[in-house]
Amino acid sequence: MLTFIGLGLYDERSITVEGREALRAADRAYAEFYTSELLGTTVADLESAHDVSIEVRDRAGVEREPEEMLAAAESEDVAFLTAGDTMISTTHVDLRLRAHDRGIETRVIHGVTAQTAASSLTGLQNYRFGKATTLPFPYAHGADGLPASVTETIDANRADGLHTVVYLDIKAERGEYMTADTGAELLADVYPELVGVVVARAGSPAPLVAAGRMRELAERSFGDPLHLLVVPGECHLLEADALVELAGAEEDALDVA
Amino acid sequence: MGRRKKIVQECERLMDEPENIRNIAIAAHVDHGKTTLSDNLLAGAGMISDETAGEQLAMDTEEDEQERGITIDAANVSMTHEYEGTNHLINLIDTPGHVDFGGDVTRAMRAVDGALVVVDAVEGAMPQTETVLRQALREGVKPTLFINKVDRLISELQEGPEEMQRRLVSVINDVNELIRGMTEEMDDIEDWTVSVEDGTVGFGSALYKWGVSMPSMQRTGMDFGDIMDLERSDKRQELHERTPLSDVVLDMVCEHFPNPVDAQPRRIPRIWRGDDDTELAEGMRLVDEDGEVVFMVTDIGMDPHAGEIASGRVFSGSLEKGQELYVSGTAGKNRIQSVGIYMGGEREEVERVPAGNIAAVTGLKDAIAGSTVSSVEMTPFESIEHISEPVITKSVEAKSMDDLPKLIETLRQVSKEDPTIQIEINEETGEHLISGQGELHLEVITQRIEKNQGIPVNTGEPIVVYREQPQEPSDEIEGISPNRHNRFYVSIEPMSDELVEAIQLGEASMDMPEQERREALQNAGMEKDDSQEVEHIHGTNILIDDTKGIQHLNETMELVIEGFEDALNNGPLANEPVQGTLIRLHDARLHEDTIHRGPAQVIPATRNALHNALIDGRIKMLEPMQDVRIDVPNDHMGAASGEIQGRRGRVDDMYQEGDLMVVEGIAPVGEMIGFASDIRSATEGRASWNTENAGFEVMSDSLQREKIMEIRERKGMKLELPEIIQYI
Ligand SMILES: Nc1nc2c(ncn2[C@@H]2O[C@H](COP(=O)(O)OP(=O)(O)O)[C@@H](O)[C@H]2O)c(=O)[nH]1
Ligand SMILES: [Mg+2]
Repeated sequence: MLTFIGLGLYDERSITVEGREALRAADRAYAEFYTSELLGTTVADLESAHDVSIEVRDRAGVEREPEEMLAAAESEDVAFLTAGDTMISTTHVDLRLRAHDRGIETRVIHGVTAQTAASSLTGLQNYRFGKATTLPFPYAHGADGLPASVTETIDANRADGLHTVVYLDIKAERGEYMTADTGAELLADVYPELVGVVVARAGSPAPLVAAGRMRELAERSFGDPLHLLVVPGECHLLEADALVELAGAEEDALDVA
Repeated sequence: MGRRKKIVQECERLMDEPENIRNIAIAAHVDHGKTTLSDNLLAGAGMISDETAGEQLAMDTEEDEQERGITIDAANVSMTHEYEGTNHLINLIDTPGHVDFGGDVTRAMRAVDGALVVVDAVEGAMPQTETVLRQALREGVKPTLFINKVDRLISELQEGPEEMQRRLVSVINDVNELIRGMTEEMDDIEDWTVSVEDGTVGFGSALYKWGVSMPSMQRTGMDFGDIMDLERSDKRQELHERTPLSDVVLDMVCEHFPNPVDAQPRRIPRIWRGDDDTELAEGMRLVDEDGEVVFMVTDIGMDPHAGEIASGRVFSGSLEKGQELYVSGTAGKNRIQSVGIYMGGEREEVERVPAGNIAAVTGLKDAIAGSTVSSVEMTPFESIEHISEPVITKSVEAKSMDDLPKLIETLRQVSKEDPTIQIEINEETGEHLISGQGELHLEVITQRIEKNQGIPVNTGEPIVVYREQPQEPSDEIEGISPNRHNRFYVSIEPMSDELVEAIQLGEASMDMPEQERREALQNAGMEKDDSQEVEHIHGTNILIDDTKGIQHLNETMELVIEGFEDALNNGPLANEPVQGTLIRLHDARLHEDTIHRGPAQVIPATRNALHNALIDGRIKMLEPMQDVRIDVPNDHMGAASGEIQGRRGRVDDMYQEGDLMVVEGIAPVGEMIGFASDIRSATEGRASWNTENAGFEVMSDSLQREKIMEIRERKGMKLELPEIIQYI
């Protein structure tokens, strides 16, 4: 049995009760933290909080050498952990398919993910989000300036009046987390006057939400990671009120329908 | 005012009169007398004292050259010469004779309009005579001929007038045959063969400083008979005074070589591919000193005080201190710190150097030999045409820790000065790699590091550079990224020799405008549709993008190319470079989000796809070959040809030439290591020999596996081949 468990957003307590029980019951636990991380805790704290030992695998250890995990899952209860939700903004469906291929039973236990946090903390309605995109570090993608996939996504969503979640690149192995001011600076290249909403440390006891034009956000700082950015499309009246009240947006800068 | 100062002033005055300027190179087979002749010309022009010419070797400025007696760097000198009542400025570039330094020769040719080809009367035209002549003609540089060491025919070989005439005529015919063959298909060049009657051939002795030509005979009233008498009776000083070599040669230079105003309109279309309707092009054709600055760097030298010195030809405008100029291939501008000309081995600063001249400038920190430097952004000069793939590598390591940074700096410098040298710096191990054209080439470079820079180094055994090349077209192969969300579909095919050569010669490159590249590729036999889809050229390999409208592929292409380049730099057999492969990207499936199609996904996917396609195309090992020519007395001929055959070589021809036998053949570079000392002992030092790189050849099947394993072992790779390689 291979159980995919989402650890949620922030620390060892962000996991669901169901997830915690499944983790405790597992014979072995593997985790990957290259797609995202829990910044409020450590692997050691996770292990002691849940009374298990966790083997952390790097990208190659998941993508290229899944053999050990799969072999174990054939005879034992194996838990596979990620931050957030295991199937959101990851590529682990591949691992699940490989397990199926070998006749291994699989199960998914959800965790809270940044996608829903973005909606919950900003007051922007989840019905009104379009496609999400990731803003990579300039060195990590193969093009000059903003990748077309980022601008195309934002433009297409905005043309339909939809909001865009812009995930900010995480290079966990290098300890690099793109902060919202850096993200805004990159976006300001194309969208200097556009309003962005920063969501910082979602899931922690002290999350921060702040709105402003990209060029202004680029000049501010928002404290510890993780951060993400939301680019609002056309705002419903209540959405606009929420951004003004909860994120300090200027009403005039918003596109209110 | 000192004499030298006067000469500098005269040069400065003449620089403004392009009609009276001649930019020339002396080109010759090694030991035919180029350096001795150059010194003579300098002495004749009053630049160095008469007595020391021939000993001083002013052109051999690097210490190791003076010791070895071979010329390595193309050094530049300027001199003045009065011809028919008008003073002329002659800018002379010395070129190396040994083919290991072929890159320098071609670069020197770019800067000049005339090439004085020097041939030893006793030896006649030799392989390198042919090579340098070809390099000159390709650059649109006009040749004249000087037959040297005629004193030896008279005094040493005791030849009579008929015998001597026959010999000289045969040298002239040989050279003319080469010129005719090489210019046949050049529409922009009329008849460039040389003849005694036209005055484009001179004879003489660079050692004893006398010379003769048709015009000189008319002027001095001395004919060949008089000369033979004086030479025979050892009255060489008198001979020199009555018919001095420098007058004969410099007159020939002034009379028969084109000045920049005549040469540039013809040469510019040959060496520059930019738009000829522009003012810039007009400025170059007219040698306009007030036009935009266009300066082609042919050489980078090092001055202990002034630092890096870029020398080359000013084609348009005037170089002046303080100018901010673009350097091709780099962003931003460099500021000129000083401009100068060469006098003997020394540089003289001057106010400005106008179009048509050879200049030496400091401050161009981004320039390398071959750079185009200009006041407006422009199409760079065509990459200089020579085939200079390195075939041999040596490791270099500083003996003392203190020298580590200095060694790195020196190696970088070396590769800037000589682009046929490639270096690979490894700061971690301190064991750097330097690759070049042959054993001697590398030996000279390492000696220069030791002596000139005073850095004691340890060097490794020379290592031969191999190549890998597919032998047949492959099927379409799928490459899958580690997360399995990205897929690439690739096939390969071996490229035609014609296409490979077009790339090697720089006729088709990614630097040139797309339309021209297409035409060049089509001329070399590529299908029109393919030529329009060329996405990248790496080494002699071409990537064709056959995909249609795949979302996100554009922003991923750089990574795709990176993966392909990695696969090409390190072939699947033994991590040796892949050559002559046409890669087709047929299709791709990409993940929606950039983060899941980053370098960690795309590079391994494309690298593996290409490796598997190459294996499907039955990739094999190629080794570099060298043409070998040995001149040897009859009784050592067997030993000499044995030295070729014993090295997995092949003897192609053996024939008599004069009193010597000539053995011609071909052998692998790897087996030629140590040839110098072996042939010496095999022939009791009686052989003279010469090698020239002859490209790569597929190794025989029986040697493939052994060589692959040998290289894999040396590189610490796994000693078994991937399972899919079962054909080796
Ligand atoms: N007898 C004779 N020897 C010459 C003559 N010119 C050059 N040499 C000798 O030939 C050798 C090679 O000359 P060098 O100028 O270094 O040739 P390079 O390699 O072409 O530069 C030297 O030993 C010279 O002294 C000549 O006209 N007559
Ligand atoms: Mg010499």
